[in-house]
Amino acid sequence: MNRKHLAIIGNGMAAGRLLDDLARRGGLTGFHISVFGEEPHGCYNRILLNRLLAGGTVDDITLKPIEWYRDNGVTLHIGCRVTQVTTHSRRIRTADDREHEYDKLIFATGSVPRIPPLDGLHTADGRFKSGVVAYRNVVDAERMREWAQPGRSAIVIGGGLLGLEAAKGLADRGLSVTIVHQADILMNRQLDRFGGEYLRRAVAGLGITVRTGVVPQAILGEHAVEGLRCADGTLLPADLLVCACGIHPRSDLARDSNIPVNKGILVDDSLATAVEHVYAVGECAEHRGQVYGLVQPIYEQCAVLADVLTGTNVQARYTGTRLYTRLKVAGIAVASMGDIEAQQADDEVVQIMEENRGNYRKLIIRNGRLVGAVLVGDTAASAGLIRRLERGDPLPTNSLDLFATPERGVAMVSNDPICKCHNVTEQCIRNAMMAGCRSLQEVSEQTGAGTGCGSCRGQLAALLLKPNLIPASS
Amino acid sequence: MSIALTTTDVPPTVVRTHCPYCAFQCGTTLTVVHDSGLSPTIAGDDAFPVNNGRLCVKGWTASELLCHPDRLTTPLVRGPDDRLHPATWKAALDRIADAFRRARREYGADAIGLFGSGALTNEKAYLLGKFARVAVGTPHVDYNGRYCMSSAAAAGNKAFGIDRGLPFPVQDIPLAQVILIIGSNPADTLPPIAQWFEQQKARGGRLIVADPRRTPTAQSADLFLQLTPGSDLALANGLLFIVIEEQLLNLPFIRSRTNGFDAARRVALTYHPGRVEQLTGISEATLRKTARWLATADTAMILTGRGPEQQSKGVDTVLAFINFILAIGQIGRPGSGYGCLTGQGNGQGGREHGQKADQLPGYRLIEVDAHREHTARVWGVDPASLPRKGRSAYELLDSLGQPGGIRSLLVMGSNVAVASPHAGNILQRLQALDFLAVCDAFLNETAALADVVLPVTQWAEEDGTLTNFEGRVIRRRQVQAPPDGVRSDWEILCALAERLGYGDQFAFASAEDIFAELRVATAGGIADYAGISYDRIDAEQGVFWPCPTAEHPGTPRLFEQQFYHADEKARFHAVEHRPAGEEPDAEYPIYFTTGRYAEHYNSGVQTRKVGRLRQAKPAPRLQLHPELADHIGLIEPGYVQVASRRGVVMFEAEVTSTIRPDTVFAPFHYGGTAAANVLTQATLDPTSRMPEFKMAAVRVTAIPPTQESR
Repeated sequence: MNRKHLAIIGNGMAAGRLLDDLARRGGLTGFHISVFGEEPHGCYNRILLNRLLAGGTVDDITLKPIEWYRDNGVTLHIGCRVTQVTTHSRRIRTADDREHEYDKLIFATGSVPRIPPLDGLHTADGRFKSGVVAYRNVVDAERMREWAQPGRSAIVIGGGLLGLEAAKGLADRGLSVTIVHQADILMNRQLDRFGGEYLRRAVAGLGITVRTGVVPQAILGEHAVEGLRCADGTLLPADLLVCACGIHPRSDLARDSNIPVNKGILVDDSLATAVEHVYAVGECAEHRGQVYGLVQPIYEQCAVLADVLTGTNVQARYTGTRLYTRLKVAGIAVASMGDIEAQQADDEVVQIMEENRGNYRKLIIRNGRLVGAVLVGDTAASAGLIRRLERGDPLPTNSLDLFATPERGVAMVSNDPICKCHNVTEQCIRNAMMAGCRSLQEVSEQTGAGTGCGSCRGQLAALLLKPNLIPASS
Repeated sequence: MSIALTTTDVPPTVVRTHCPYCAFQCGTTLTVVHDSGLSPTIAGDDAFPVNNGRLCVKGWTASELLCHPDRLTTPLVRGPDDRLHPATWKAALDRIADAFRRARREYGADAIGLFGSGALTNEKAYLLGKFARVAVGTPHVDYNGRYCMSSAAAAGNKAFGIDRGLPFPVQDIPLAQVILIIGSNPADTLPPIAQWFEQQKARGGRLIVADPRRTPTAQSADLFLQLTPGSDLALANGLLFIVIEEQLLNLPFIRSRTNGFDAARRVALTYHPGRVEQLTGISEATLRKTARWLATADTAMILTGRGPEQQSKGVDTVLAFINFILAIGQIGRPGSGYGCLTGQGNGQGGREHGQKADQLPGYRLIEVDAHREHTARVWGVDPASLPRKGRSAYELLDSLGQPGGIRSLLVMGSNVAVASPHAGNILQRLQALDFLAVCDAFLNETAALADVVLPVTQWAEEDGTLTNFEGRVIRRRQVQAPPDGVRSDWEILCALAERLGYGDQFAFASAEDIFAELRVATAGGIADYAGISYDRIDAEQGVFWPCPTAEHPGTPRLFEQQFYHADEKARFHAVEHRPAGEEPDAEYPIYFTTGRYAEHYNSGVQTRKVGRLRQAKPAPRLQLHPELADHIGLIEPGYVQVASRRGVVMFEAEVTSTIRPDTVFAPFHYGGTAAANVLTQATLDPTSRMPEFKMAAVRVTAIPPTQESR
């Protein structure tokens, strides 16, 4: 047995996905794999943290229980922080002062929450003041749940995807919630001004207070949170303060190990860093100037890295992902993809605003291709739009056709017979209906349709239900 | 037996039998006016409880083939001039036996291949498997059922420990409050089934259809999911995510009747609606509605067709839908469950009796020692003499004429030159054979390449049993004598076995004689036919297997008490979405998918010869969306050229908004230059070895109108 030793630093979603992708390519037997994770659990699905807030257990969102690693021959070091990487001798050192050798090393260290520079955030011993939580991992969610008692009030700093999810989770538990957002637009990375405005109204409709364009300055309270003072002097009382101001790549260890880092750990199209035998994947990696914080790009990166590592396809390359963001908060639908503003002079922008229904829809079209879309309210078309955007499909002449939802659409009249047994076309049936046939039986008697095998009777019934076929006079 | 003597004033004879085509196997009554020289007239059999007298346009016209002028009535043998000439039966059979003996001498028995069909009766399918293993001694026997429902079959075996298309009678359909059909268009492919869906709707039931095309079936649905080709598995996992999130699981059912939920649940956790929208093109609202309708109904059913099954991840896709229906506990009660809508006439029975490379009669497995021993005992041979597992259909055909591959091939009831994926390759492989023999009633595209062609009886000229898509064993009854010069497939196998020195094991006088041995061979197996007899089928309108004894009532509904694994529980499987063997790219940007017309059956050998059907659908037309038509500058009516990495086909264009703009569709019933399978690709499912008929990447261009065509 002379298997290469693959070490993965981090045990989050990227590490979990990479293990799956390696498994599919025979990599679990081809390598000896060690995973170093700081948290005391198997890998879990971070985007479902809200379930913990709602009363769920860690197991509910666990992707790989501890036994999975054992059953699949993967060595898992839990509660184990890597403190040092020596790339020239290919060794890593952990906080418990043990050394491990590797042949290939993968950074999957993810992100850390961005903590705003507030006065009074910490107590004298450097820990968060009682009542302050970030919203990033299982411990955060469990702390939040302890604090989140009905009747209390909470401030969520950050009106992005994470902040809105946290705010909704807290509101659902009966807290009075205020979102404090520094930018003027909610979800300003995914929405334009109108989109942000429509979203603000929808959020307000859930009973959540939204304050945008407000800079938080200091946390009030001697031992525990009592409130927040903003730069404009406003004082907001609160028992709980949640920091959801975004994330930044966790790249300190890589930087300390002389692996080139910019915003994140720099990787090429095969997810390799500039240092031999060292790779990075997921939120900690920076690829072509882009750091991703969504799962889809991470999945795509993992597939490429697994191809490269196992030799399944050494030519595999990651070329970037078009961003597709969905806000998954009950009662509010937001979809955003690609560009959110026109970038070039001849970009075509299509905007539809339905003030009272709360629907805002916007498309950005460049050279006859969809390059971006923002939908707030009615997002039924988004699934179709993202396919168009990703594939670069040509667009219909009438841009509004893009918003048609297929499950409601009406097929154009076909010359093919509907009733194959008696050769009756849709036009014949429409004619019969125009002539007064109202029921399936009447249409069948008139045209013969549906009296053979009967397989078209469902279609006939559907035609009869189409209101536009019945003359207005009747 | 109802062959009347030929006297002029004999009254017309009426015989109850079944339609020759699809797995619905409609009951028919045939009226023969003796000495009239006319084909018998067909009517639906009101007394048969599956079709209740209904027939589709194919069924009504089926007897036209019996007296068709193109019918072969004499064996053909290829002469030194490389043309086929009429020959005697003795000469033709000797030629095949000689070729087999030579192949065996020069290359070994493994160089002989046998290719069967889901159109063969149970008796013929059984005998073909026995012929391969006993008289020829080759492991390489397989059949076109691999192209049909093999993925659903493999998934059923993995999840339930048994594979029966519908584990319930068709009468259960109206009892379902909600039905989800994925990738099946029964309104065109099993037309008389529509009455059951109509009854379901009349009782207030709802229908959901998922398909890249808004098919006639989809047009009568309450909810239509126009999903991206190849994304069915992601859809199923996405539905599981939603029922977990919304706490719509049936936990008591999961705990008491299943294993493995935890692993499936953890995989599903990564299929959040945002991701599934991106993969399937189905909006979150629709996904949630689908999941809620199915999970909160009292009874719900999921039915799959070839759409999800004919993919290189077909088995996993079916398993994902089974996971979902197990998780919501909608199985094992009247009106609930998962079913596969089988395609071919005897697609079900054909896969149970050993004409498949890995199986022995009764759904026994050729690699299991106890199964080998049982079968060998019935056949009177040494278990060690039975070959092991052989190549699957496409792999068998792909090996023709290759080093270590098949040198001599016998094809029975299948037009492999048209029906196989990457048909251009299969055509070359057939031409590379030392010897090809084909048994068929017509000189189809495959037979035209053969060294020996044997004319065989058609459905109304023979006895036997078939097993329909419900697992109901039914009788095909002889209506009239075959024309002179024509023999049954089973008679051919017996005659060849005798020439190869195994006459004793193949001394059968009738189909019923073979069935008697089949009953013994299947006894104790999963597909147990031991208690079924021709008399019982006649008396009971068919008998559902398993039916182990003459006293056993048969099993119309499986899973009410137990599943068929040793622990009697169903199994979840952790399955993941993955890309198809070929995905669209810049060069070939459009999805190409295939399917059927209501007017034609399989490769069209039979239906293309029926006047009315040919007139209705004389040639394949390519369905494309108006947006795509605009984009390629198509002027209607017009023609398009469709190119894949494997070939180019020209089609008449059919512009329709019922198809996705990124997808085109063509039927596969046609041969030669109109063969859709020239374009398809043959990535195989790792478990079922099903080729990926439903997914290829193509480029579509408009053909500019010429002077003549204007």
